[in-house]
Amino acid sequence: MSALYRDIVLDHHRAPRRRGHLAAPSHACDGVNALCGDSLRLELRVEQDHIVDYAFRGECCAIATATASLLGERVLGLAVDAVAPLQQAFAALIAGGEADPALGDLAALAELASYPARRKCALLPWAALAAALAGTPRTTTEKDPT
Amino acid sequence: MSADFDPLRYRADFPLLARRVHDKPLIYFDNANTAQKPQAVIDAVDGYYRDYAANVARAVHSLGEQATAAYEGARDKLAAFLNAGGRDQLVLTSGTTQAINLVAYSYALPRLQPGDEILVTQMEHHANIVPWQLVAARTGATVKAAPVDADGVLQLDRFEAMLTPKVKLAGVAHVSNVIGTVNPVAEIARLCRARGVPLLVDGSQACPHQRVDVQAIGCDFYAMTGHKLFGPTGTGALWARREHLQAMPPFFGGGEMIRTVSFDGTVFADPPHKFEAGTPNIAGFIGLGAAIDYVQSVGLERIQAYEAGLLAYATRALQSVPGLRLFGRAPHKAAVLSFLIEGVHAHDVATLLDHEGVAVRSGHHCAHPLMQFFGVPATARASLSFYNTREEVDAFVRALDKVRRLLA
Ligand SMILES: Cc1ncc(COP(=O)(O)O)c(C=O)c1O
Repeated sequence: MSALYRDIVLDHHRAPRRRGHLAAPSHACDGVNALCGDSLRLELRVEQDHIVDYAFRGECCAIATATASLLGERVLGLAVDAVAPLQQAFAALIAGGEADPALGDLAALAELASYPARRKCALLPWAALAAALAGTPRTTTEKDPT
Repeated sequence: MSADFDPLRYRADFPLLARRVHDKPLIYFDNANTAQKPQAVIDAVDGYYRDYAANVARAVHSLGEQATAAYEGARDKLAAFLNAGGRDQLVLTSGTTQAINLVAYSYALPRLQPGDEILVTQMEHHANIVPWQLVAARTGATVKAAPVDADGVLQLDRFEAMLTPKVKLAGVAHVSNVIGTVNPVAEIARLCRARGVPLLVDGSQACPHQRVDVQAIGCDFYAMTGHKLFGPTGTGALWARREHLQAMPPFFGGGEMIRTVSFDGTVFADPPHKFEAGTPNIAGFIGLGAAIDYVQSVGLERIQAYEAGLLAYATRALQSVPGLRLFGRAPHKAAVLSFLIEGVHAHDVATLLDHEGVAVRSGHHCAHPLMQFFGVPATARASLSFYNTREEVDAFVRALDKVRRLLA
């Protein structure tokens, strides 16, 4: 029906991986796009500067849910320092740039290049991840009213 | 459905409706957001720029006189359209938002005292909430909202009970942009007048769908916007009772709105020009005049009857979609259908429908309080016009079914 909703995106929307809560998160953040009505809670366990556990819950559109699910798969085991460059690569990809191989399955969201109004949906889990690592309890990717 | 109404005949007047989106025929169901323009409107705007572009009320040369006549002619058309009872009671604005702000700042602000109240309803557009909040914050007044029931109908008894002596102004939508409810504005005006409370009616969504007679309604102020009435963006009007316009101070100062200016004191022009500082949207209003001629030629009674049939048809069709929840079931409503599909976010619905060529709006529709009432952050909304057809409704419902099977 649409190149944006590719099978891998639909799969992660229907059966999100790592959905739930962590028993003992070391970091957490609520990502809320109030105008859209997307909200998710992202929880992490960081040990020795590595993300060793990840979970999210929330009421989101398919794009935000699939991104949060794919993101968890990708960052598990990753060094905390590696998150920012990966986030930049993702932002560049959905703005129409080349796919950095480091993004793995997250490259499935490349089609967002043609959907500027929906980019903030995919950026919400990323913003929540970065904010959680920075110790910020709440974040949003809504800058302008929509 | 009125058997003699052929929407295809009118569709041909709207060049944009022939375009394709994602290689599918466009199905434009976002009319409550803004309506498309008939060729007559496009020609009127184009004609002004090609043949007689000039400023109004300033130039004595031929172009200026022609432009002034066309511009003021549009005011006359709008005055007749609303049964304004005099062109001096019609202030041309950039739209409903500016019209309501004019009342808020020129009428309400000088009158409000601490403890006073402004009464609106839970189904208002932000344009009929936020201006009142701004003047309330400056004066110590408060804004109260009369509730709607589960069907999205205004609870008139509650509205009446809230019309206490503290209320200094009431603001009510003629038709809700989110759920299509048509409010009984003449009855509301009677309640308000009985208590000496001036009433502003937000007519943004009424003018495109039914005949509006501001004198028969009996309100004090009526705000409308041109772009939803098949006219250009940046056009609209405030109709107000003559005594209010005479008593209100100007809001903007500048050219066009004065009689004489000196540093010892400036004499303002009479209404409505007193409220129309600066060069107006001349081309836009000439286009709006053409839009009014156009809808009059189609006939508002015929439009209303056809749309009522289309709404009933679309409502039945949507109810056949499994898991679909319709918001707003007022017995008296315009062809606006807000909905959600169980388990699917409104933005996903709108993006996927766009792929099938169907344009709907998703989000909060500038009505946060009503969304809070329904307990949802957003809905998808299909808003129909007289140029939409049952075949388009069928294609829309087929597309919705695809969305549901993909995501739900
Ligand atoms: C009920 C209602 N009131 C006010 C407005 C504001 O109209 P405008 O943006 O043209 O000023 C709209 C449209 O967006 C509306 O639907």
